[in-house]
Amino acid sequence: MIRYTLLLIFLCSSALLRGQEKYIYLNLDVNKPMSNTAWIEDISFSAGKLGYRGFIRPNFSAGLDVGWANFDQYEPTSTKQNPTGAITTDYFHYIYSYSAVVSGQYYFKDEDEDRFFPYAGMGLGANTNEYVLYYNIYEDTERSWGFLARPEVGVLFRFTERGSLGIMAAVHYDYSTNKSEKFAYSNFSALGFQIGLMSMSF
Amino acid sequence: MIMRRICYLCAVTISAGLFLACQTEPDSAELIDQMVVSTNYDPEADFTAYTTYAIPSDTIGFRSNNSSDTIITSPESTFPRHVLSAIRNNLEARGYTRVDRNQDPDLGVNVMVVNDFNVFQEIVYPNYYGYPGNYYSGYYGYGSYYYYPYVNTYAYNTGVLIIEVLDLRNRTADNKVRVVWDAYLGDVYSTIDRLAQSADGIDQAFTQSPYLGKQ
Repeated sequence: MIRYTLLLIFLCSSALLRGQEKYIYLNLDVNKPMSNTAWIEDISFSAGKLGYRGFIRPNFSAGLDVGWANFDQYEPTSTKQNPTGAITTDYFHYIYSYSAVVSGQYYFKDEDEDRFFPYAGMGLGANTNEYVLYYNIYEDTERSWGFLARPEVGVLFRFTERGSLGIMAAVHYDYSTNKSEKFAYSNFSALGFQIGLMSMSF
Repeated sequence: MIMRRICYLCAVTISAGLFLACQTEPDSAELIDQMVVSTNYDPEADFTAYTTYAIPSDTIGFRSNNSSDTIITSPESTFPRHVLSAIRNNLEARGYTRVDRNQDPDLGVNVMVVNDFNVFQEIVYPNYYGYPGNYYSGYYGYGSYYYYPYVNTYAYNTGVLIIEVLDLRNRTADNKVRVVWDAYLGDVYSTIDRLAQSADGIDQAFTQSPYLGKQ
């Protein structure tokens, strides 16, 4: 349901924003966890970002970005010893991450450039992670919130000078104070690459 | 034309990506293809000092919040004999000898299944097409179609196989005994092959307990 809602928002907004100095985007996001990689280090291809940004200066925009990502990793069967016993099973490590940031971007472009927009920006906000350890029918979970800082560099490319649609690609680094005592996270960070469609109007 | 194709490709890619990005969970078949095996022991117990043990041959205990039955017996179920055989084989391999209960065994073995029966219900509101949805798609009396909501009832069992080894040699004066080793195997209801996984789980319980045995 959420994917259809987001797609609908994207399509409706792209029509509503026509003729105004703003853009929206819907991106696929590929993320590599950078903290506590002993628990999850596999790259996640299961993530997305949706954002709205308006130009408040010719070279500066501000907006809101929301994102979601699923991280997972399989731990093969192993026996863990404790002082008076042991436990044997295989584990499925999961993190369900959701974020929202207010962001600002500076665009490295000439005033007459209207198709290619390289930029650098910073987002500040919050994220919530649900850490889940699945084993057989059992699961251990912990949910926590954290402050999120997201530096980002990217580029916007409009397909045509007159059209609103284009491609957006960006690299971002997420650092969050999100902690999990149960799963040994003192913070949560990830390096990501996102690419997708954007709709821009000037 | 090329731009249209690029847009189409991007839309398809994003749709596929968003589908993948929904909150996923592990494949249930992969989750239950082996049991969780947990063992505990009494560090003060000297397992080399025991020689004999007693164990039932075709009956295991049963505790449930849904049934007044207290035992599972063969031939009603092949489960007890299969489980008890696997336990006996492992105890014999560790050098213990099986005797009857009236022959004053050093160890007694209790085996039981603890069953937790869960029930939950959900209200389903069919939509315009009569399929389940989470909302009313029409309003009764205003010319639209209305389908009465109905209740789905789900029930599922969970259960743990428990093996307890009791120290019968060192009974207290008031005839109390200590559990010197136990094993918990779960889940015994959600399995791919219950008998095989139970036997594998029992073998694993002994494998991860190298202190058990005469040597």
